[in-house]
Amino acid sequence: MSPTHRLSCHVCGQEHRIVELLSGEKAHCVRCGAVLAERSRLGPDTALVFSITGLVLAPSAALLTFVSAGKLGAVRISHLFTGVGSLWEGGMRSLAVLVLLCGGLVPFTLLVVLAAACTRSRLGLVVDRLGALSRTAHVLEHWAIPEVQVLAVLVAFMKLGSVVNVKIGPGFWCYSAMAVSLLIAQHSFDSDFVTGPTRTNEPESAAPP
Amino acid sequence: MLVPANLLPVLSTESSGSNTSNTIVSGVIELWRQGLWALALIVFTASVVIPVLKVLGLSWLLLNARRAAPKNPRRLTKIYAALDFIGRWSMLDVFLAAFLAGLVRFGEFSTVTPRSGIVAFAAAVVLTMLATKAFDPRVLWQAAEAPHH
Repeated sequence: MSPTHRLSCHVCGQEHRIVELLSGEKAHCVRCGAVLAERSRLGPDTALVFSITGLVLAPSAALLTFVSAGKLGAVRISHLFTGVGSLWEGGMRSLAVLVLLCGGLVPFTLLVVLAAACTRSRLGLVVDRLGALSRTAHVLEHWAIPEVQVLAVLVAFMKLGSVVNVKIGPGFWCYSAMAVSLLIAQHSFDSDFVTGPTRTNEPESAAPP
Repeated sequence: MLVPANLLPVLSTESSGSNTSNTIVSGVIELWRQGLWALALIVFTASVVIPVLKVLGLSWLLLNARRAAPKNPRRLTKIYAALDFIGRWSMLDVFLAAFLAGLVRFGEFSTVTPRSGIVAFAAAVVLTMLATKAFDPRVLWQAAEAPHH
C-alpha cells in the first residue's frame, strides 16, 4: 500500500490504513482514541452545499442591519463591522484588525477555500489531504470564530436590554446562519476529505498498519 | 498578559454625566448584582476560567513532555484536545467590547469605550491560542515509547 493510502493520526502520529466509512460511522485512532474521520449522515456533498450557503449569506450579514439600539428617541444602527470601525477610530487598531479577521475575513476566506476544495473533489480532481487547499483550511479554521461573535452579541443583547431598547436586525440572523453553515461545512469537509479520495472496501473503520 | 488584562479596566461606560470603568472581574460582579447570573457565569468562564485553565494546562503538558516517560499519554492527549477546543471561546470578551463600542454611542446619554485592559486580554488570548497550536501532542507519545535505562 502506498504512503498516500495511509493516514497518520494528527494527535499521536499512529499510522492507519484508510478504509471506507458508512454514513454516520466514525474512525478512531487505535492508540490515542482521537476521531480520525467521520462519515456525514447528510451525504457526500454536505460540505459543498453548506459552504455555498455560507457564501450566499455572507454579503447580507455584512450589509444588513445587525442590531439597532434606541435611547431617549435617538436610534443607533450597527452593522457587522461597526465595532471594528469604532475600535479603529479609538486608536485600538490591532484589536480592530483581530476582530475583523476572526469575525469576518477569515470565516469568509475559509468558506471560499472549502467551496473550492469540495468543487475540485466533485469534479473528480484529486484533493490530497496535504494539499494546499486542505492545509489552508486547517490553518484558517483555528482563527475563524463567528460562533463566538454570535454568542457575544447575544450576551450584549441581554446586558443592554435594561439600559437601551435593542432590536436584532436581519444582518445578525444572516450572520448566525452563516456561522452554523460554516461549522457544518467544516465538520463535513474534514470527514469526507479524509475518507473520500482513497476508499477501499475493507470492513474495518480504522486499523493499525 | 493575563495580569494587566485582569488589573486594567476593559470597558468604561459614560452615562448621564457619570463615568464607570470596569475590569473583567468587576464587570462579572456587576452582571451578578443585576441578577444576570447566567450571563455572569458565561463571561466569567470565557474570560477568567478558560484563559487560566489554558495556561495551567499547557504548563502541565510541557512539564510532562519533558519527562522521560510521561504517565498516561492518552489522558494528556485528551487534555490537549480540550484546551485546543476551549481556547477560542475566550474571544467572547473581545467581541463583546468591539460590539458595545460600536453600538452604545449616544453621546452624553450613554457611551461605552474600550480601555487598555481589553488589548492586553486579546493579546493573552492570541498568545495562548498560538502556544496551543505550537505544542505537538505527538511528543508525549514519542517520549512514552522511547527506550529508557
